[in-house]
Amino acid sequence: MNKNSINKGFRFWLAFYAGRLTAFICRLFRLSGTSLPGAVALRICPQLLFYLAPAYEKVIAVTGTNGKTTTTNLISYFLRQAGVPVIGNGEGANMINGVVTALIKDCNFFGAAQSRTAVLEVDEGSVGKILPAVKPDLIVVTNYFRDQLDRYSELDHIIALLRKTIDHLPETELLLNADDPLAVAVGRGRTAVRYYGVAGERDCKELEENEIREGGFCPDCGELLTYDYYQYCQLGDYRCTKCSFKRPEPDFLALDVDDSDLLHFSLYLQNKNTGEQEPQKGNLDLHSQLRGFYNVYNILAASAAAMLIGVPQQIIERSLPDYSTATGRLEQFIYQGRPCTLGLIKNPIGVNEVIKTILPQEGKKAFLIAINDLAGDGKDVSWLWDADFEKLDQSMVSKVVCSGRRAAEIAVRLKYAGFTASKIVLEPGCRESLDVLGLQKADQYYILASYTSLFNYAKLLRKRGKAVAKNADQSLPSLS
Amino acid sequence: MRIRACHLYPDLLNLYGDRGNLLVFCRRAQWRDIEVDVDQFLLGDRGDFNGYDFIFIGGGADSRRTLVLKNLEKIAPFIVDAVEEGTVLLAVGLGFQLLGRYIKAENGDVIAGAGVFDACTEMDSSRSVGDILLEGTADLQDELKKAGNIDITTLIGFENHSGRTYLGEQGKPLGRVIKGKGNNGEDGTEGACYKNAFGTFLHGPVLAKNPHFADLLLVKALSPQEEISLAPLDDSLEILAHNTMKKRLI
Ligand SMILES: [Zn+2]
Repeated sequence: MNKNSINKGFRFWLAFYAGRLTAFICRLFRLSGTSLPGAVALRICPQLLFYLAPAYEKVIAVTGTNGKTTTTNLISYFLRQAGVPVIGNGEGANMINGVVTALIKDCNFFGAAQSRTAVLEVDEGSVGKILPAVKPDLIVVTNYFRDQLDRYSELDHIIALLRKTIDHLPETELLLNADDPLAVAVGRGRTAVRYYGVAGERDCKELEENEIREGGFCPDCGELLTYDYYQYCQLGDYRCTKCSFKRPEPDFLALDVDDSDLLHFSLYLQNKNTGEQEPQKGNLDLHSQLRGFYNVYNILAASAAAMLIGVPQQIIERSLPDYSTATGRLEQFIYQGRPCTLGLIKNPIGVNEVIKTILPQEGKKAFLIAINDLAGDGKDVSWLWDADFEKLDQSMVSKVVCSGRRAAEIAVRLKYAGFTASKIVLEPGCRESLDVLGLQKADQYYILASYTSLFNYAKLLRKRGKAVAKNADQSLPSLS
Repeated sequence: MRIRACHLYPDLLNLYGDRGNLLVFCRRAQWRDIEVDVDQFLLGDRGDFNGYDFIFIGGGADSRRTLVLKNLEKIAPFIVDAVEEGTVLLAVGLGFQLLGRYIKAENGDVIAGAGVFDACTEMDSSRSVGDILLEGTADLQDELKKAGNIDITTLIGFENHSGRTYLGEQGKPLGRVIKGKGNNGEDGTEGACYKNAFGTFLHGPVLAKNPHFADLLLVKALSPQEEISLAPLDDSLEILAHNTMKKRLI
């Protein structure tokens, strides 16, 4: 059937042009406009997504807690490198308004889609609205960590919601993180499921006392899972002692991970029938400019997704080293003549991974931590107490500037993490806090900001200093 | 001086930064040269709570309720004994609900709690989420004044709980809600007190933004009977965090 043959009524066109007009006005006034056009259009025609989505030959959806944006952007990047025109909402606007905005912008004036493939980042809470309309060919699940619980209340609800949604999408293939029992729970009872995972044992150590373990329970019988090793949090090689649930053998397996600086690892395609690796299919040797162990999962998921939709392995292997980060995922700047790293922090797992990435780097460091509590950040900031600020080596930290609407609470958190009063400065304002940071004598600056202040810092740093990441995505994500 | 503390189910009930409460408790003791030993009490552990001065139980996802209750049943009498003896106890969120008389699930099943507090919880689809400000009850204000040197009578935190909790005839609240929902969003009560046991829905963690409350627990843990006084600390950051949020809520 010609997917384009859906009869679009008057309401569709009214909504479509209202959305186009809003996008035009946003551009005119230099607003970011990644959500507003979709919001306007959806007010007129709530079913708009059902009309727009069939224009695409392939739709890939990425959902989960952490790593959605990086994974989405990487899949789009691989597809473009393979010569496939791609549209996506890879700017973090991942609720229905953002998805509709992206698709409206992809159409020409006559409503015809310009791209053939859509790669969509889908907010965990929005899967029920978006997925039934776009009917993805492939859904990628990154992981389920505790994140902004005031918005979603509990992980169980999110997973139940996705399971209920895909019950009505029997054709959709799933690509799940084998190392995360919560992600694996999504695919229980389905046949078209592929898994990716990272081979142990990264540290071969027991779970550290303060690390958070959320969801290390059997999805089938509720028993506490037994682990042979952990990667981080509940990710690892697990099994249930009461029933048959265990980590599925990954189809896509990362081996020999080197995360001491820029990432490097091998990707093996495993033949599950024999359990043997298939070197004749080629083991990919992957080098990336990304840092941080958590990015191994993002690269792995994106490479696997790209291969599943037909991107040749050589293209992935050859193009990955040229890819660098989009706004906010540890972006590099020069500020006051010093290297300055800007990173998004939104939950304890993210903070812990950022800290692990920063720690091995030599030299004196000055930090700026900015936490807001607006809807886009999550209104509850108590997660700051679940993050291991204790791990920051005091002797290497010259100062921490605390900023944002919750500046005082960051300061309190750091005080109880063992920072002396002389190392803590309070400066709630964005510009002012950056001024104070710029006065600190240090070898490197690090700015860790929650969502709504991140882009203000990025903007200021581009103005006052300079961005050094090549291929950096310059567009500013907006709130959805 | 030395305090023995017990953390109940740290791996299961560890939501919303609640483990920060023990960190704050320990640090504020250490800064006054008081040592705190913390034992973890895990699923499957048995035994009484003799010898503990402070027991802490935190919040968790509702899905953990049955798993914890199975075990809690067995140790409930020991917790009740300890509280009757004057042991200090702080229960937050789900931990507070579990230590009430019962929880009535959405499907009508009634599950018995540990019975430390005269409170019962009825689960429904309602959820109370947001910043919350309390005025301590007159009794609590008295105790706060006696225990410490921080002149604050309000408590501040972030509530995030489902269902409604009601105090029974013997139940005394921790405070009156000025802003937020509290126990049930109806009667203006928040939390519960019984002897030296305190239950609350305040996360944040509650002791971090309420150093006066932390010191009250510390004083009681050091000496349940006699009054003692603690050396004052520089609490300007904690008080700033408390007052900044308070100003926004009033
Ligand atoms: Zn099981």
